[in-house]
Amino acid sequence: MEAKFDIRKMGRKLIKFIIAVVVVIVIIAVAVMASKSGGKNSLDVSDAQQEVKEPQAALSDGAVDTSKELNGHHLVAANDSYELYLYEPALSIIVKNTKTGAVMESTVRDEERLGNVNETWKGFLQSGIVVELQEETNTMQRKLGIEGSGAQVAVDLIPGGFHAKLDYPSQELGFEVEVKLYDDGSITACIPESAIYENAENKKIGNIYLFPLLGSTRLGEKDGYMFVPDGNGALIYLDDKEGRFDSGYVQKVYGTDIGVGESYVLSLLWGSYETHNDAEMILAPVYGMVHTDDNMGYLAVIESGDEEASIYATPNGAYSDYNWITAAFRKCTTYIQPTSNSGGSVTKVTDRIKYDINVRYMFVDGDEANYTGLAKRYRDYLIENDELVRTADEFKVRLDFLGMDVENWMMWKKDVPVTTVDNIREIYADLEGEGVTDILSLYKGWQDGGIYDIPVTSYDVDASIGGAGDLSKLMEECGEKNIDFYLFLDAVRANTDTANTTFDTVKKMDKRLYEQDTYQNVYRSFVYWTPQKALENLQKLQKGFQKKGIDKLALSEIGNTLYTYTMGDTMQTRIVSKYLYGEALKGAGETMDLMLESPIQCYWQYSKAIVDMPISDSDYIYTDQSVPFLSIALKGMIPMYGDYVNFEANEREYFLKLVETGIYPSFYLTYENPSELIYTNSSDVYTSEYSVYRQQILSYYKELKEISELTKGSMIAAHEITDTGVTIVTYDNGVKLYINYSETDAKADGVAVPALSYVVGR
Amino acid sequence: MKKKLRAVILLAVMLSMILSSTVIAETPYKTYTVDGYGYVLETQSAYNPASAITKVGETSFVTPMDMAIGNDGNLYIADAGAHVVMVSTVDGDEVRMIGEGTLQTPMGVFVSDDDKVYVADRDAKKVFVFDIQGNLLNEYGKPDSPIYGSSMDFKPIKVVANKTGTMYIICEGNMNGIVQISPVEGGSFLGYFGTNYTSLSPFQILQRLILTDAQRAQMLSNIPSTPTNLHIDEDGLIYTVTQGDTEMSLKKLNIAGKNMLDADPYWADLPAAVTTGQYHNMLVADSDGYIYEYNEEGELLFMFGGRDDGRQRIGLCNKVEAIAVDHSDRIYLLDSDKKQVHIFEPTEFTDLLHESLYLFSKGRYTESKEPLEKVLQMNSMFDYANQAMGHAYLQEENYTEALKYFKLAKSAEGYSDAYWEVRNIWIRKYLVTAVIVIVLLAVGISFYKKWKKKKYGEDGVPGRLSQKVPLLAQLKYGLHFMRHPFDGCYGVKREGKASFACANILLAAYILVAIIEKYFSGFLVKTVREGRYDIVSDVGTVLVIFIGLTLCNYLVVTINEGEAFFKELYCAYAYCLTPFIVIKPFVVILSNVLTYNEVFLISFANLIVVVWMVVLILISVKEMNNFSVKETAKALALTAFTVLILTLLVCIIYVLFSQVIDFVVSVLREVVYRIGS
Repeated sequence: MEAKFDIRKMGRKLIKFIIAVVVVIVIIAVAVMASKSGGKNSLDVSDAQQEVKEPQAALSDGAVDTSKELNGHHLVAANDSYELYLYEPALSIIVKNTKTGAVMESTVRDEERLGNVNETWKGFLQSGIVVELQEETNTMQRKLGIEGSGAQVAVDLIPGGFHAKLDYPSQELGFEVEVKLYDDGSITACIPESAIYENAENKKIGNIYLFPLLGSTRLGEKDGYMFVPDGNGALIYLDDKEGRFDSGYVQKVYGTDIGVGESYVLSLLWGSYETHNDAEMILAPVYGMVHTDDNMGYLAVIESGDEEASIYATPNGAYSDYNWITAAFRKCTTYIQPTSNSGGSVTKVTDRIKYDINVRYMFVDGDEANYTGLAKRYRDYLIENDELVRTADEFKVRLDFLGMDVENWMMWKKDVPVTTVDNIREIYADLEGEGVTDILSLYKGWQDGGIYDIPVTSYDVDASIGGAGDLSKLMEECGEKNIDFYLFLDAVRANTDTANTTFDTVKKMDKRLYEQDTYQNVYRSFVYWTPQKALENLQKLQKGFQKKGIDKLALSEIGNTLYTYTMGDTMQTRIVSKYLYGEALKGAGETMDLMLESPIQCYWQYSKAIVDMPISDSDYIYTDQSVPFLSIALKGMIPMYGDYVNFEANEREYFLKLVETGIYPSFYLTYENPSELIYTNSSDVYTSEYSVYRQQILSYYKELKEISELTKGSMIAAHEITDTGVTIVTYDNGVKLYINYSETDAKADGVAVPALSYVVGR
Repeated sequence: MKKKLRAVILLAVMLSMILSSTVIAETPYKTYTVDGYGYVLETQSAYNPASAITKVGETSFVTPMDMAIGNDGNLYIADAGAHVVMVSTVDGDEVRMIGEGTLQTPMGVFVSDDDKVYVADRDAKKVFVFDIQGNLLNEYGKPDSPIYGSSMDFKPIKVVANKTGTMYIICEGNMNGIVQISPVEGGSFLGYFGTNYTSLSPFQILQRLILTDAQRAQMLSNIPSTPTNLHIDEDGLIYTVTQGDTEMSLKKLNIAGKNMLDADPYWADLPAAVTTGQYHNMLVADSDGYIYEYNEEGELLFMFGGRDDGRQRIGLCNKVEAIAVDHSDRIYLLDSDKKQVHIFEPTEFTDLLHESLYLFSKGRYTESKEPLEKVLQMNSMFDYANQAMGHAYLQEENYTEALKYFKLAKSAEGYSDAYWEVRNIWIRKYLVTAVIVIVLLAVGISFYKKWKKKKYGEDGVPGRLSQKVPLLAQLKYGLHFMRHPFDGCYGVKREGKASFACANILLAAYILVAIIEKYFSGFLVKTVREGRYDIVSDVGTVLVIFIGLTLCNYLVVTINEGEAFFKELYCAYAYCLTPFIVIKPFVVILSNVLTYNEVFLISFANLIVVVWMVVLILISVKEMNNFSVKETAKALALTAFTVLILTLLVCIIYVLFSQVIDFVVSVLREVVYRIGS
């Protein structure tokens, strides 16, 4: 009897104990959350968003005859070459090239031409600005046109354009837009954050489409193409697609947002292997439309709001008969908030993401109305806006080395050094003997603990590759020769096994830790530092490097990783992460030469060269042709280095592609056989041994250096593919490169180009 | 002949025209291969997506179900929804339509070497045979043979035919196998072919034993699955794939219907179609868009592709129905969901591999080394190439090189063959020296013994270490225990011949030997990967099992009037491990110099060790507790039961505990959520 009583007592004690533990945990959690929440670290949008510069050209503010009409639109601004017309009720614009008479419209006014579309798409096709409405927590947003939705438009004509106020009374929201024409053929459109209002509790602006149908064409009525910035660049022809597609190209500028969970359903092979390669990322916030038969086209640059923009390029047959390309700006989004471990969840809507929207449409005509023209226009734009400073473009072969990684060994990790400092010295000496002297190297995995022991906040070199003294000596030696030797590190990710990642790591919108799976054996996942912490880490490292006199640093991830995250209970947007990373790079760039891995446009100015430059596009089903848009824009402005040659299955074609794009070759090398790496996280490096690649490096160096000597200091003036399949790249100093990718000999301009080869001409 | 040649040249020209478009682009999928251990690793892209056919001329696909490549290089696509077989060039231009008005639901199509087009029509319940121009030659309905079964329906969905015109037909709902029909006398039924077999899992067997007839009748009947698709190669071998079978879903059947493939774990999960290439390589397409390429023996070379899932990139599929390969090794995949034909082109890497496959199959080993070397240069971890190199060197009688490559390829059989030769050479070279050394050693030892005897007399060494240190004496007692267990048990129990320290040392020695055996055995008998260590769990497992068993046994014997104390049992069982400690090191050394021919020696030695240990344990249980045989058996049975209960208990505690943790985590999450909102 007594014993039973005891047990009951014990049980009560146990329950009390558990309750006490839970209470303590909760209190600690709350305290920690409170201490870590927002406050001092969170940023206001006005700090983060950079001022947009007005075009340098003069505003076309001369008086115009507003009674002049075109397709129901009346003239609002004009200069020597272009006229801007407006149809107020739908806020529709028409841009007319007065020299050729060619026009580009921004809506479909002719009801008959609409074809079989539903009311929603009718509204979309007939409105200059379309709002996607976020109602309650619906995951599907509703498209609101202007005329059909009862929106009220109030237009003021201002010098050079117009200012319009849009109110959606039944949704209790509205905003203002300002459109101006400049003398260089630019049209700017701006929706300032300050003028946006949302008064209803449960109705918010989801997305805004700005002139979605500007320059659109119906089926195959016009020749031309839409330009999408996928990878290096791609075109979608304006031909009749005969209903082959039921959707179009949609990609977020600067890649997906890990914070809101837009990822695909992951289907793993045999339950554990990810078989998909990620698509190329949009590195430049641009898109374009060209009507080649009218010799008219435009390049649109998203000057602000690019972090939250997605580019839509929709061929005919998908939703409607029209080909249209536009950018949509995300103002809020939904996300899933899990509430229990077993799958319970609720859908939530984020607060409004605050930023100004600015788009600059730059019109081109005549010989410039093609993708080369757009690329050149983009180059001029970058120079005009100081986004890019012309740097010496000297040919170098990029030889990256992997120092060491670790594998599991008993209870510990075992070093697997594959390229020591001595090995590198030996390789350099060997190459110098063969005349290979212009080298750029990124040394990966030099730090204590190997390539994935991140973050790196000091100059702590792993002993297994030779230690700090020897590495410093090597860097000195490189300085004396013409070798750019950069230490490489990952500036964004953190390894939970090697670093304390309890605080300052990125939590997604649902306040859960973001974890990136590696599908490897040693370290299974990584987390991201918050940009604040990444900045701090980088500053710490910078001090350490300064003391040691190291001034060359290569950074990965930081140049192209933007995400929405939460700090405490405040949402931090991609705008914040872009700004903070920018600050980090700016600070680091003051004392060091930086090298960024495929950086996005706004960071180009901080990088001495662009490494891992995409050489082609992602091959979407709707894209018709891959064009080297970025290469044309950047060749001669900043050196570009491609992806590693090692992992290319079609070596010859890849080599020709390097010739075509002016991108310099890259090799990923180890001194040891990479089979050593099979149990490390670097097991995806399956081929890298120097002795294997030696011959290839020599031949690539010789051939590509020869070409680079000819094109040195000049930029690409024209790029075309002839009917015979030969690609011709013309430089502004007159050098012409003829490249033949086919397996038969071909001729172009009377120049015979052998199969799978190239010819240099003048 | 001339006509054929011209067609080939025309085809080559056409293909090169297509090739002129660049295919350099980030491939949307990764390519994997498998190393000798079965470890899946990435490799260079084997095939790159080149283009897609969405229309034949002006006609879109409706429900394309099957595809074949004719000798003219054209694609023959059976469209069940359009009731026709579309003939298309590889560029998507229409050549002709076959069977308009005749066909109802063409589900399968096959083009024979003599240019006949076989169409399996499900709803017409017939197989139609057309000539290449589309003229109907023959039609075959349900066989009237009684063997076919009068109640069995005839709904052909896939068909192939061999050189004599004998048709192999897969019929919907017919579980008996592939229907074999000869063209003679308007179609005579030859019998069923390549029947799949059912297998019962242990659970199902148990279920069948327990359930009543009525319950059993309610269960799903265990019927063999019908093959999903089939293919015939130039030699008349039939290849089948079967969805739903977890193993052996790909079969390569000879004329007798015998499967010529060994099991390989890398089968497609949902195989939809199979075909063969020019090098006897087999290609299997998974319904989800994965493509598997195997060599002749069914070893996986490449795996690539994947589901599109809204990515909208060329080369990713949604639902694959058919696969075909043309003479330039391009792969065609028919996707009924995206309604298109995806075309993949082999890369330079794959071309090299195919060249070596070809040379190898022709027995030109030395020549095959050149492309293989290039393959290995591009990817040194491509173990298929390592293995082929090993074989090539073996043929050249360069055994040390062969050994090196076989070891790289982790090919045990190849290694064994090469090692046999290497050892043979070594033995021939050093036999005389070895014999002399052994004789000298023997003489030396006998001299040493004589000298010792002379010095210390018959009684041996005075004041031996083992007499001074009791622990050493106890350890040495293990050797005595091993040979005289009854006597040994008496010693442990009555004479205090053992201590915890001694038992622990023995246990540690056991663990050490077990680890050495696991990691340092010869290449052929080693079960773990080279360079792979997991010592903590090795040690943990032994400790948990040993201590757990001893404890359970102790609990049982104490309540069964056993006389042993825990310490005595612990020590006795530790002594039972001595055979392992003593014999295994020799086995490990031996395993390093044996080939597969002599490997039975090792199995034999292992058997001796196990039997010896078991006998020692049985005797220990009996003697330590002074049990009779019957009591011993009872104690052992009870011990087994106790172990079961203990395991169950641990499981229950684990489950409860993880629920508590889950609860706390959920509370925390809820708190985070509430604070956040």
